[in-house]
Amino acid sequence: MSSLEVKLLSEHYDKPEFQGLEGYKKHGGYEVLVKALKMEPQKIIDEVKASGLRGRGGAGFPTGVKWGFLPNNDEPRYLLCNADEGEPGTFKDRVMMERAPHQLIEGMIISAFAVKSHKSYIYIRGEYDEPARILRKALDEAYEAGLLGKNILGSGFDHDMDLYRGAGAYICGEETGMISSLEGLKGQPKLKPPFPAIQGYLKKPTIVNNVETLAAVKYIIRDGADAYRKYGTEKSAGTKLFSISGNVVKPGTYEVPLGISLKDLIFDVCGGLKPGRKLKAVIPGGSSAPILTAEESLKVNMDYESLAQSGSMLGSGAVIVIDDSNDMVDLLDVTLHFYHHESCGQCTPCREGTGWISKITHSIKNGEGTTKDIDLIKNVAEHMMGKTICALSDAAAMPAISFVTKFRDEFEAYVNKGVERRGEDAHA
Amino acid sequence: MPKCTINGKEIEVPQGTTVIEAFKMLGDDICHYCWHPGLSVAGVCRLCMVHIEGMPKLQIACNTEVRDGMVVTNQTDDVKDTVKWGLDFHLINHPLDCPICDQAGECGLQDQYMKFGKYDPEMAEPKVKKHKVVDLGPTVVLDSERCILCSRCVRFTEEVTETNELGIFNRGDRAEIGTVQGRPLDNNYSLNTVDICPVGALTSKDFRFRQRVWYLKDSESICPGCSTGCNVKVYFNEEGLWRVKPRYNAEVNGHWMCDEGRNTYKYVNAAHRLKKVKAGQSGDWSQEEVFPETMKLGEKFRAAAEKNPESIAVLVTGQYTNEEFKNFFEFVADELKVKNIFHWINNPEKFDDFDGLLLRGDKNPNTYGLKEEMKSRGGFKSLEDLQGKMSQFEWVLVLGPENQSQFPDLKEKVDLLSQAKSVIWLSACETPELDALRAPTHQIPMKTYIEKEGSFTNFKGLVQEFKRGTTVIEDALTLQEVVALLRGHELDYRNRPQPIGGTKKNHFTNVRGQL
Repeated sequence: MSSLEVKLLSEHYDKPEFQGLEGYKKHGGYEVLVKALKMEPQKIIDEVKASGLRGRGGAGFPTGVKWGFLPNNDEPRYLLCNADEGEPGTFKDRVMMERAPHQLIEGMIISAFAVKSHKSYIYIRGEYDEPARILRKALDEAYEAGLLGKNILGSGFDHDMDLYRGAGAYICGEETGMISSLEGLKGQPKLKPPFPAIQGYLKKPTIVNNVETLAAVKYIIRDGADAYRKYGTEKSAGTKLFSISGNVVKPGTYEVPLGISLKDLIFDVCGGLKPGRKLKAVIPGGSSAPILTAEESLKVNMDYESLAQSGSMLGSGAVIVIDDSNDMVDLLDVTLHFYHHESCGQCTPCREGTGWISKITHSIKNGEGTTKDIDLIKNVAEHMMGKTICALSDAAAMPAISFVTKFRDEFEAYVNKGVERRGEDAHA
Repeated sequence: MPKCTINGKEIEVPQGTTVIEAFKMLGDDICHYCWHPGLSVAGVCRLCMVHIEGMPKLQIACNTEVRDGMVVTNQTDDVKDTVKWGLDFHLINHPLDCPICDQAGECGLQDQYMKFGKYDPEMAEPKVKKHKVVDLGPTVVLDSERCILCSRCVRFTEEVTETNELGIFNRGDRAEIGTVQGRPLDNNYSLNTVDICPVGALTSKDFRFRQRVWYLKDSESICPGCSTGCNVKVYFNEEGLWRVKPRYNAEVNGHWMCDEGRNTYKYVNAAHRLKKVKAGQSGDWSQEEVFPETMKLGEKFRAAAEKNPESIAVLVTGQYTNEEFKNFFEFVADELKVKNIFHWINNPEKFDDFDGLLLRGDKNPNTYGLKEEMKSRGGFKSLEDLQGKMSQFEWVLVLGPENQSQFPDLKEKVDLLSQAKSVIWLSACETPELDALRAPTHQIPMKTYIEKEGSFTNFKGLVQEFKRGTTVIEDALTLQEVVALLRGHELDYRNRPQPIGGTKKNHFTNVRGQL
């Protein structure tokens, strides 16, 4: 284990017993819930605000602030756990749910108590068969132990929790798409305003948080906001579970403090590149994050601000490491095929644009493209940015723009190869 | 009431007004497809983009409420560029088959592209193939490739008819409109989906391939199909009428009308019409010139009435204008002192029906006006008084229905009147039912609603005026003209309305056959 790793959320992930209620309790499980249920709900919200915890699903919105948007009334409200984890490259929620389902459940009950919600759902992606099975079992255990249902641990607080399995749509990881899906509708994002905190699931105030965010709440309440802030940077507090994939020696899920350098993450924590390979690029925050060149990635730190400054984003913390054995045109083709396939089809720029740039990229890859096509990808993608209800359009546009800008030579090579074969003028 | 500035112009709007509505109030151009004033906001076409001072990103005008002090414009380069590209996104997979598309000439995509478009298409990739000529139901055909997925039709069946036949299936650029499990789009308002479709994706089975819309003129009128009195536009050319569409009136029909009302153009066309006076009886009819014959008839009719008003019976339907009724009763009831006036309604059992949206069981546009006119004259006699007393009457004058198909007891009435000594039946249409009359009869050709002007009073007492649109049968008479001729007055033939000119003949009509 690298000395740069920390074990806060993941402290007991290596112990198989941590999955069951008994084993979980052996390691202090549900003790924080007992503490939380004796606190004033507002105090919990204040503590989360003070901790600087930001949404771990991708957007990085301050969790306590989000909770603060709920209207101050007695309306029923819902807490939804976003376990749809669909961003290519991301798999940390799966590890958390498999290794420590009760950690999530405890974090959710504490959060629900704080926001005064009596009903929550874990919306888990359809492909997560095993995690769903494990969570289902954990929920049964929790109900049996009086940790869910009426009058939890004699506190007078009632809370019901349910598991809902998605049907495999990426868009259902977008919070309003998830709400539509949970409502039994086609999984399509909703217009904002109104925002979910005001009008969400079943038109009631709703909070949607990521698995990791909700699990972290437990540790903020256990140790206090100040202790949590010891990790990370001023604006990006706490630890983060990174899913690291691609051409590193030890891919996997690692918990490290936010602000760690990407260089350390790759070369220390993950054991570096495979022998004889050269770093070409890194996608630091899931396939939708703009790609960084090798040079850029060796300078950047893994926190919200540093990555934004470098023109990319932390996203869900999915780091995809690309070395010189990878072909950038091929990678973009695969990436755009994904977003084309997953666009829900509501907003025209996304519905039509994702297909368009995917087809152009595919043409280039097949040696049928022109130099103009490379510019066109960028031009079309730029007109897809920020023009739609949700961020899926941007998610396709950002890799498209960054790939063709930063690795234009590779795209041109494909064009030229095709031209040579056909015997045309590349710039015609 | 919040005040805002739109493209440099200040406007005060009611609380809750959206930015797009404020644009419409000002009459400023704003590109949009999915927004429709009669439906909820979908916010999916992403074309009504505006720049709002203080906001980092462009906003859609349809989902943004006007707040006090808001400064909005759609004249920045950024907005114009976004709209241009937005239109291109709509068009890249659109088949651009305008030459064979029924919507051409009244297509939102054409109109808005001419106004806001990029004019420099760059799409060279193969287009997405989707279903063509999808039979959605008895009235509507879908071309999915033309569809821009604005979801207006889906929202219409969700929110207005609440029948939920339509949905969007699949996702991304494979998304298509369709019906659930092949169930047909079959409700009495289905053709509104064709009206609100901004492109040629949904076309009316009744109208498609019949006319190019630029060959048509339109005239604002009132639907004569029932007592609701929906405000409509009637489309016609020299060959006749081709379709009826709703016209917005918040007080009566909003944006919509029913499919039944849309059929009211059919019986107006020449093929169904009575063109001359038909004199005779069942199996033995002769065609007579309208004016001399009606005047001759008037002499006999007046003589009989002057001798004994009780020898005359009048059967009235609520299918004539207020002005016609007034003129008619002044003659028949006031001058000739006829007392035997009977009200013939279409279907007593269903007369008070209402479908909750627009359609009423009273299939007459002016029952209210008729009753008002008769109030001061002591009202109607009971229809039962007619039974078995036919032979008492020298003359029975029938103000027959224009739209006979809505009168299920037509045959019964024909049988009843066959016992009369002589009948004058005013009718717009020539039908076998009327030709079965066995009493000596004169059928007098009447004008239809689109051929005359006047007013109808709808079920709730709203008087709605309408103008003449066109003339289909020149010799057909209005009720005022019938009254004049019966009184023995010459008509000023030269000043009678002529068919509307100026429309171009569509020489391709004959290829498809006549109406």
